[in-house]
Amino acid sequence: MLERELVVSNKLGLHARATAKLVQILAPFRCNVTIAAKGREVNAKSIMGVMLLAAAQGTPVTVRIHGEDEVAAMEAVAGLFERRFDEES
Amino acid sequence: MACGILLITHPGIGTSILAAAAGMLRPMPLKAEAFEVPFDADLAALLPQASAAMRRVDSGEGVLVLTDLYGSSPSNLAGQLSRLGTPVRRVSALSLPMLLRVMNYPEQLLSELPATAAAGTRNGAIVDDA
Repeated sequence: MLERELVVSNKLGLHARATAKLVQILAPFRCNVTIAAKGREVNAKSIMGVMLLAAAQGTPVTVRIHGEDEVAAMEAVAGLFERRFDEES
Repeated sequence: MACGILLITHPGIGTSILAAAAGMLRPMPLKAEAFEVPFDADLAALLPQASAAMRRVDSGEGVLVLTDLYGSSPSNLAGQLSRLGTPVRRVSALSLPMLLRVMNYPEQLLSELPATAAAGTRNGAIVDDA
């Protein structure tokens, strides 16, 4: 099991498009991925689940990944957060 | 192979919901089209066009037809489509959460997608007391 703290750094937070991007990036992986913020932990492969977090810019989140391809999945998630979901700010 | 998705709705709804989903999911995992039924339309006259739309999204695994309002003309037209031979399952109460959830399970069979779709609308209704 891998666990990593990340911060939502894009201006719009985990809004619909950013969430969809996260979910689509994770879809090919077989591992289980959860994302926790503000006392709530949700399935990171579910769009509505992630949007329930209502995570605005600056929100720290904890990503937990469990499964055979967890290393690659964590890299993909961390990369997306670092790129601010490919948004401008 | 994957199922096709056909939205059959009142005017202005299906196209807009599909466009919103397409703006979030690039590329769209499943082939999808919207077919809008005008008020006071002659359903029998629309059936060939609706059937053509259904055939465009079908790749042999069947079509999930999502309608906005159960019992309305669009939903009745969907009922007629399901009797044309193509495997069809129908779910009503189309919403953006429903469509996004369906698109998130592109590997599912036509027999599995109706429950997935219904859960999308159900779980998408959140009473926000926060």
